[in-house]
Amino acid sequence: MRKLCLAAALFAGSAITTPVLADDHLKIVEGDPLELTIQMNHRAYPIYEESWPVEQQARQWTNVHLVDVTVGANMRTDSENTGNTEALNLMLASGAIPDIVGSSRIRDFVNQYGPEGAFVPLNDLIAEHAPNIAAYYAQRPDIEDAVKAADGQMYYVPYLPDGKYGRAYWIRTDWLDALGLEVPQTVEEYEAVLRAFKTQDPNGNGEADEVPFFARQWPELIRLVTLWDGRAHGSDTYHDFLVEEGKISHGYIGEGYRDGISNLARWYAEGLIDAEVFTRGSSARDFLLSENLGGSTHDWFASTGGYNSLSSEIDGFEFRAMVPPASPSGKRVEEHRRILVKPDGWAIGHTNENVVETIKYFDFWFTEEGRRLANFGVEGTHYNMVDGKPIFTEAFLNAGPVNRSLNQVGAQLQGRGYFQDYNYEIQWTNEFALEGIELYEQGDYLIPDFLGVAFTSDEQQVYDRTWGSIRDYMLERQQSWILGNGDVNADWDAYLAKLDEMGLQELLVVMQSAYDRQYGKN
Amino acid sequence: MAEEHTTAAGQPIQEAVIEAQEAQRMPPNDGRWTRLFDHFKREWQIYAMLLPTIIWFLVFLYKPMYGLQIAFKDYSIFRGVANSPWIGLEHFQTLFSNDQFLRAIGNTIKISALNLIFGFPAPIILALMFNEVLHASYKRTAQTIVYLPHFISSVIIAGIVITAFSPTAGIVNTIIGWFGLDPVYFLTQPQWFRPIFVGTGIWQEAGFGSIVFLAAIAGVNPSLYESAVVDGANRWQMMWKITIPSILPTILIMLIIRIGNVMEVSFELVILLYQPATYETADVVNTWIYRQGLQSGQYDLAAAGGLFNAFVAFVLVMTANTLSRRYSRTSLW
Repeated sequence: MRKLCLAAALFAGSAITTPVLADDHLKIVEGDPLELTIQMNHRAYPIYEESWPVEQQARQWTNVHLVDVTVGANMRTDSENTGNTEALNLMLASGAIPDIVGSSRIRDFVNQYGPEGAFVPLNDLIAEHAPNIAAYYAQRPDIEDAVKAADGQMYYVPYLPDGKYGRAYWIRTDWLDALGLEVPQTVEEYEAVLRAFKTQDPNGNGEADEVPFFARQWPELIRLVTLWDGRAHGSDTYHDFLVEEGKISHGYIGEGYRDGISNLARWYAEGLIDAEVFTRGSSARDFLLSENLGGSTHDWFASTGGYNSLSSEIDGFEFRAMVPPASPSGKRVEEHRRILVKPDGWAIGHTNENVVETIKYFDFWFTEEGRRLANFGVEGTHYNMVDGKPIFTEAFLNAGPVNRSLNQVGAQLQGRGYFQDYNYEIQWTNEFALEGIELYEQGDYLIPDFLGVAFTSDEQQVYDRTWGSIRDYMLERQQSWILGNGDVNADWDAYLAKLDEMGLQELLVVMQSAYDRQYGKN
Repeated sequence: MAEEHTTAAGQPIQEAVIEAQEAQRMPPNDGRWTRLFDHFKREWQIYAMLLPTIIWFLVFLYKPMYGLQIAFKDYSIFRGVANSPWIGLEHFQTLFSNDQFLRAIGNTIKISALNLIFGFPAPIILALMFNEVLHASYKRTAQTIVYLPHFISSVIIAGIVITAFSPTAGIVNTIIGWFGLDPVYFLTQPQWFRPIFVGTGIWQEAGFGSIVFLAAIAGVNPSLYESAVVDGANRWQMMWKITIPSILPTILIMLIIRIGNVMEVSFELVILLYQPATYETADVVNTWIYRQGLQSGQYDLAAAGGLFNAFVAFVLVMTANTLSRRYSRTSLW
C-alpha cells in the first residue's frame, strides 16, 4: 500500500510538471472536483488505478475525479473472457452499481440489464451534451447502429479500434529458400509447401519433426476453410455468425466449410497440421518457433513479426507474412480483421446522480486532447509532439512491451470508451509486420465483419435455449472430422438435419429479424 | 485380572453410583427444558467443538438454499432473487428437451459406475496389501508415495496427464512406439476419455483413500488373529475370514457415501481434460451446467440443473442407506 501511495505521489508530481496550456475549455465542473465511482476490471489492469498519470491528467483537465470501487477484480485470461463477465455479474449481484462501469465484453451485459433499468440510456444525453461523440456517430451511422440495444437506445460508449489488419498468414521463408520453393500463391501450392516442410527436413536435423502448420488458438486452424471458399468466424469472436449482403448465416453450415473440413482432415492425416493442435494451447507459437519446428501459422501481424528476433539464435530464421493463398475458385480471402467496434467500453449506472457531467466526461475522451491522452499517455512524459504528431519518447518505447507500458500508465484501456489512433501502434511495429501489412494493403482481401445484434428478451430466450447446444455440437463434429473420427462428406446431411432439429433455423430467423431491426433493412 | 465390584444385579458399582447421582440431580417434575439446559451445562465443551462445523453448514450450505428458488424463476441478477418473476418448471422442461443434458446425465452415471467398479475396491485392496507388508520402512515409503498424488492440484494433474498422453512427446506414446505402433492422440478420442479419467482418479486418490481402511484394520481385535494362528490359519485365510469381515461396516459406510456422490464427478478435472471432440463421452452434468449456465450467464437454468443433480444424489443415498440397513444393519443414520 505504501508503495502505491509513493507511486501516486510521483505520478502526481509528474502531472504537475507537464506543460499545460492555460485552458479551461475541457473543464466540466467548476469549484470542488466531482468524484465519480468506477468499476473497471480487465485481465491486464484488474482495477482502475487512481494513480495512473492519464487519470491524473484527466483530473486536471476536467476536474472530474474517478474513484475506483471495482468488485470482483481478477486477471483471468481464458479465451472466453469469463473473468470480465464474472466481475460484472458480481458487481450487479452486490446490488451497488457504480457511477461508471467499464469493461471488455460489456455490450451484451448492458443491453440485457440496461432496458431493465440498471444503466442509463444515452441517446438523448449524447445528442444534447456530447458533441464529439455525436460527431463521430454522424460519420459512422453503421457503428451507431451496432452499439444500440434492442429498444433502440445506446447503453454504452464503445472502444473503437483503429487500423484494418489483424491476423495474417506467416511462413518460414528461409525454409522455402532452403528447399528451393516459392511463396505459395494457391491452396494447392500451399499444400505442396507444407508437405515439403514435413518430408524434406528444412530444419536440417535429420528428423521429420517439423510441424508444417500450427496455431496458438485452434480456431485459427478452422479459419483455413477460407482457402476452399468456406467461412469460419463471422467476426473477431470465434464461431460467430456471419453476414453476407444483409443475410445472416453461419460459416459452419456452408458448402465451402464442408470442402474445407474434408481437406483439413486430409492434411491432418498426412501430418501437415500440428498433431496436437487442439491441446497445445497458447504457447504453441513460442515453443514451435523457438525450437525451430514450426513452418507456417495464421496469427497477429505485430506480435508474430517480433519472432524474427530469433534469427540471433536460429541461423537464417525468417518468418514473413504472405498473402492469403487463392482458393480453387481463385479468391484470396483474409477472414480476420480488426473489428470496427468492440463490444467493450463504458456505461453509466442507474444510481449516478451526475448523469450530464458523466456524459460530458465520456465526451472529453473524444476531444482531440482526450483522444490523444487515451492513446498516447501524457505529453512530455510518454510522448512529445513532433511536426504536429505525437511521437513516443525513446525511454518509453524501450521500457518493455509498449502495450503493457501504456496500460500501466492508464492509456489504451479497453474498458474506456475512446477512439483508438493506429499511429500509436505503427511507431513500434517491427519491420516484418509493417512489410506484411503493406503486402496486404496491395490486395483487397478483407471481407465485412458481423458487428453483432442486440436481442429483445423473447429473441434472447431463443438464443439462450439453442445457441449453446448448437455451438457445442458444431465444435464436437468439427474436431471429430478433422481428427478422422468420422467423414464430413458422409455425415453432412445428418449433421445439417441434426442442427435444424436443435433449432438452428429458428435461431437464424431470430438473428435475421434482430439484424434487420438494428441495421434498418426493413 | 483385578477383582470387580458388582451389585446384586451384576452391575458395576461405579455405574450404579453415577446413575443414582443423576437421578438425584433431576427432580422428577422438572420440564425437559431444564434437563436440556443441564445437559448443555455439563457437555458444553463438546458442543463448542461442534460449533464451527454447524456455522459452516449454516453459512455455506443452508443459507444458499434460499437461492435455489431461481431454478423456478426467470432470474435477472439486477432484479434479484426476490423480484424475479416465477415461471414454474420451464427450466426443467428446457433441460429435459436438451439432448446434450440427457447425454451428460448418461455420461455422469457411466463415469461414476466405472469409478465405483474400479475406483472403490482399489483403496481397500491397497490397504489390505499394506497390512501384509512386514518391512516397516518399506511400508512407510510405499505409503508416502501413494499418498502424494492426493496433494497435487487438479490443474497440475491435468498437465501431467496431457503431457503423458501427448502424441509426440508423451511417455505413453513413446512406449507404444517401442512396439512399432502408431502414436494415438488419446485426449481427442472419445473412447479413451473414460479409461484415462477413471485411471487418473484411481492414481490420485486410491492411496489417500486407503487410510481410512488401514485405520479400520488397525482396530480389529488382535486376539482374533491370535486364536486363528492357534487354529492353524494361514495369512490368506486370516485376511478373508477375519480382516475383511471386521472392516465390512467401514466398507459399507464408505460405499453409501460414495453412492451419494455418484452425480459429483470431479468436474474440474473433466474441464481440464476434455475437448469438443470428446464431449460425447466426457461431458458430465456439472460441466454442462458450467458451460451453459455460468459461461453464458444463465444462472436460473444452471440452478435447475444443479437442483436436479442434488435430487438424484439424495434419492441414491437414501436408497443405499435403506438397503444397507435392511441387509447388513450398517447405515449412516
